[in-house]
Amino acid sequence: MAAVLPVGSDLSGAMNRFLKTILEKDIVDAVLMPMKVPSGDSFAWIIMSDSSIVDDAEAMAPVMPVQGARALRSLTRKGEGSIRVLALMRPCEIRAAIELSKLGQVKTENLILAAYDCPGAVPMDSFVSDPSSGEDLFRKMLAGEDVSAGEVKPSCTSCVEFSMTDADLHFGHFGLGGTEVLLIPGSPKGMEILEALELPADRETSIWDEAVRKRREKQVASRDAAFEETGENIRGVQGMLNVFADCISCRNCRAACPICYCRLCHFESETAKQDPNSRLDSAVTRGGISLPADRMLFHTGRMTHMSLSCVSCGQCSDACPADIPVAQVFSFVADRTQKAFEYSAGRNDGDPLPLRSFMKSELSGIHEMVSDAEPGGHAHE
Amino acid sequence: MISDKHDDFTPRITSFLCKWCSYTGADLAGTNRLQYPTSIIPIQVMCSSRVDPVFLIKAFLSGSDGVLMGGCHPGDCHYETGNYHTRRRFAILKEIFDSLGLESDRLKLSWISASEGPKFAQVSNEYTEQIRKMGKNPTRKSVFL
Repeated sequence: MAAVLPVGSDLSGAMNRFLKTILEKDIVDAVLMPMKVPSGDSFAWIIMSDSSIVDDAEAMAPVMPVQGARALRSLTRKGEGSIRVLALMRPCEIRAAIELSKLGQVKTENLILAAYDCPGAVPMDSFVSDPSSGEDLFRKMLAGEDVSAGEVKPSCTSCVEFSMTDADLHFGHFGLGGTEVLLIPGSPKGMEILEALELPADRETSIWDEAVRKRREKQVASRDAAFEETGENIRGVQGMLNVFADCISCRNCRAACPICYCRLCHFESETAKQDPNSRLDSAVTRGGISLPADRMLFHTGRMTHMSLSCVSCGQCSDACPADIPVAQVFSFVADRTQKAFEYSAGRNDGDPLPLRSFMKSELSGIHEMVSDAEPGGHAHE
Repeated sequence: MISDKHDDFTPRITSFLCKWCSYTGADLAGTNRLQYPTSIIPIQVMCSSRVDPVFLIKAFLSGSDGVLMGGCHPGDCHYETGNYHTRRRFAILKEIFDSLGLESDRLKLSWISASEGPKFAQVSNEYTEQIRKMGKNPTRKSVFL
């Protein structure tokens, strides 16, 4: 069941008005949402306590410059915030925030996480070069019109978690023709907001449910196709090289990743720095090595560190200057590692992080037993 | 045991052995004069959980034909729960190797206690034989890693 927010002519504007109201009525002390930058070619996260600023903000931004969870982390990494903040973000940003809360980097006590039905995002580079077509494109995406897959951020075309995350409050608008928005409470906190506004959650959501279900079906099919393609491209040492040999070791992918929060990344640590002489030795013994070294190690290593919390937001691909499909590969691998532990990143269902927990009896086949025939080994005679 | 009937390929198997169990097991194999191949290159670690999966990948990408991870039997960890974490990390690493189409059989996890010298020798022999059949690590040939 949901409450209803009437929409005039502008979907995003209606959400803005709602956020303005909850600020004015002191239901929250501040709102975190995107706002267009002065040059007009990008958006930035603004945390605003003054309700008049909300007028200039944009509830649903066409682009995703900084992952919202990263913005949130900077507010609560030292404990819960001193004021109540509502953060309106894309579902993948909410999911990353939930992962970060499991990692102790985001404290959700004084936060209200709000998400909306996300139609996808426009790739950063194309938006910056032509903001007005980018905005037109996003309007089309919001209205549910077909746009060619190449125009949308690649990770969004195969996103299956575009709606209804474990946010406290969800703005549902798919399938409603732009005439109204459903306010769907996802937690007691979300319910409290609706109660404070005296908005009864009494509306059936079946039309919206159906629209989301249909869209998900389509997205699942396109994700499966994308995974198959990626799995083919990346296959084996040669496949890895085909994909990652362009890497310039800038590590932008890690910097843009909401999950990679470590202050000192293993790959920047002294441990990871190989002695120059041993590099020279490798050049001699192997015949040749590429520099900067360890590019494949960086990418595969990062998969072992963060793939279980990967929310497939695609920021890594957006940040790559060499146009490597980092997100497609990581998303493909993350899907498998998460399935191996029946874990789904970004869910608030009480499942602990797989790398932080274990069961005493599990994975019994992972260490291969030696053949039982002769337990004695081969004695030296 | 490395026999001569194959070619002259002697695999290199980088082995991370925990101080309390597997490394002591290897020691016991030595004092018992059990024979195991020279392919095993042991690295002593304080606990198998000290080994970041990145170390195993590093060994693999550096051209090790096999990578062996040895720890205490589940329930017997000197630090009580280290090897349970190792087991999960190892499972994730295997899954990543499989996803990327890399040969995950070049990674091996084995529980060898301090009293299992014969088991250490047996694991070493069998794994060396398995790796010998697989051939050289394909990353040895690439300069782009």
